[in-house]
Amino acid sequence: MVYLSYMFSELRRRRGRTALTALGLAVGIALVIAVSSLTAGLNNAQASVLKPLTGVGTDMSVTRPIQVSSSSKSFQNLTPAERTQLRKEAGPGQVGFGNLKAGAKFTRTSFQSTELTFASSKIAAVSKQNDVANAVGGLTLNLTSVSGTVPKQTSTSTSTRGAPSAGGGFNGPRSIDFTSVSVSGVDPSSTTLGAITSDELTAGTWFTSTTKRQAILNVSYATQKNKQVGDTIKLDGKTYTVVGIVKSPVGGSSSNVYVDLAQLQKLAGDTGQINTLYVRATSAAAVSTVSKEITKTISGASVTTAQSLASEMTGTLSTAKSLTSKLGFVLEIVALLSSIMVASLLTLTSVSKRFRELGTLKALGWPQRAIVRQIAGESLFQGLLGGIAGVVLGLGAAALITAFGPTLKATFDPATQSTGGPVGAFPGARQAVSSAVSTTVKLAAHVSPTLIAAAVALAVVAGLASGAVGALRAARLRPADALRHID
Amino acid sequence: MVPVYELREVTKRYGDVVAVDDLDLTIDRGEFTAIVGPSGSGKTTLLQLLGALDRPTSGEVLFEGDDLSGLREAELTRIRSSAIGFVFQQFNLIPTITAAENIALALAPRGLPRDERRTRVEELLASVGLEQRGHHVPSKLSGGEQQRVAIARALANDPRVLLADEPTGNLDSRNGEEIVGLLQELAEDRGQTIVLITHDPSVAQRAFRVVRMQDGAIVEDRIAVNRVASLAT
Repeated sequence: MVYLSYMFSELRRRRGRTALTALGLAVGIALVIAVSSLTAGLNNAQASVLKPLTGVGTDMSVTRPIQVSSSSKSFQNLTPAERTQLRKEAGPGQVGFGNLKAGAKFTRTSFQSTELTFASSKIAAVSKQNDVANAVGGLTLNLTSVSGTVPKQTSTSTSTRGAPSAGGGFNGPRSIDFTSVSVSGVDPSSTTLGAITSDELTAGTWFTSTTKRQAILNVSYATQKNKQVGDTIKLDGKTYTVVGIVKSPVGGSSSNVYVDLAQLQKLAGDTGQINTLYVRATSAAAVSTVSKEITKTISGASVTTAQSLASEMTGTLSTAKSLTSKLGFVLEIVALLSSIMVASLLTLTSVSKRFRELGTLKALGWPQRAIVRQIAGESLFQGLLGGIAGVVLGLGAAALITAFGPTLKATFDPATQSTGGPVGAFPGARQAVSSAVSTTVKLAAHVSPTLIAAAVALAVVAGLASGAVGALRAARLRPADALRHID
Repeated sequence: MVPVYELREVTKRYGDVVAVDDLDLTIDRGEFTAIVGPSGSGKTTLLQLLGALDRPTSGEVLFEGDDLSGLREAELTRIRSSAIGFVFQQFNLIPTITAAENIALALAPRGLPRDERRTRVEELLASVGLEQRGHHVPSKLSGGEQQRVAIARALANDPRVLLADEPTGNLDSRNGEEIVGLLQELAEDRGQTIVLITHDPSVAQRAFRVVRMQDGAIVEDRIAVNRVASLAT
């Protein structure tokens, strides 16, 4: 108790210096907290952008992109059966105006897939792989539908027939509607893995029946078409009831309409075929091995993982992220080292000023370790004080970052990717959304209890480091010097 | 009986300066010795050697028969803590804590139980006549009171020898007189061995023995006048 009472009275006497030392440490600690919380905030922002696509970093999607870019050679890699399949899926629309007379009404619908399909039996094959938690199939098709009345002058319509604009109308005669809608088949039993998940719903419910024709609309498509839950839409002449609205993530499954997978397969004549496989690994660490295994199981498979998606991301979010990852750590180290230095210098001068006092204690028979303990104790307390002040300052800085937090933009630009690149996992996206997909995230600095604990611990360590410097100096004091007096 | 101190051919150099030059000195138990001499005569250096604060360049400093020059720092610390008490010219009290706490600091390395320590501090304060002043910080005490606290602190561990470096140097004559009176009392009533350095002839007179130093050597060693007188009666 005597030691403690001495220590606190000592710190009180030099309260200016104590406060200054603590403040020096506090600034360093606050910087560490601010930078770390910023980094954590950016990680959270990225995670929130990617989460719907990537789950907890364990999800991946598998497709078989058509390698158009590498010339027609790649088609030779395909089996004859696959070529037939491809022709069937990606062939010219079967509008067939030839049989129609002028003035006759018609509706033609075609389903096109820009990815090769594969048998849904692969779902089971992949499920059996090591480290695979779950695997779900999906089928994304582009449904092009032309309907109207055969115009009197067919020459106009035939000449423009080959140039449909995505999702939009048709420049030809008003009597012909040309619509393109992307449709994804979703396994209704899988609410957490697939083209959409149940927590992406913004209105309505998940599929409630596999027999009734139910559809979930993308929010932007629903807005565009002015559809709400309870309304109906038509796909290839069949009426679907809208049961839910989803807000789909950036870079992800931006199909316009989601329906039951089995129903879509039947509708498109693709029974037993899927073109996207959603796989969840048991852990983020297993992703790369699972991914490698999948490419063996499914030939020509392209696997999109959280990591590959994150690397596709551009915009202010990714700029800020790369900046903090490059500079943040360096900044933290510099801040810590300089605050330790300031604290050490202050401790050193205070020890020098207490020359006589410490010498007196030595003369009184205080052992070396008691003096070292005294100095170290004082520094420890200053460190603790600095740590607490630093946490307060750091929380303030984090709150400021959050309050004035800039809105960051994350962009996935399909144009920058080779055909059939990772985002090709969601072929509908490329068809229905014409250009780069962007989303904005408000930056919120994140301070975790672990960070606070670590910061206080750092401050204490920094305080002790400065104390060690001071104690070393004190230990070298010769007690004889305490007796030297001016005469 | 082994003398408290026995110095044999002790020399202490600081670089080229010879502070203590080939000095021999024996101090017996119960002696009250004043060391006098001009500035730079080596008094303080001698006191540091006696106080186990420094080691001689050559020669032997025997404290109760043990050669201090051969001991490690930790052993010197133990001797300082248990056998030697120091009184300084500028009191060297720690200004932030009370008189009682200052005394307790000297007891701290012994790790006494709290109650025992408190009792001991009260006893010590009483022995220097400051029973009522223990809770004051040094700045609230007069110079004489501060030096009395310092003496109480020096006596805290029942030292076999009390070393005082110009104990009255910072005091007016009345307070100085009080302090010397207290030291004299300790020597006469309790047989406390005391070695003090002083400039003041009136202080030196109160000692039993006066050692005069010049240029690091003893030039005079005599029984004090009043002591001669008191021994005569």
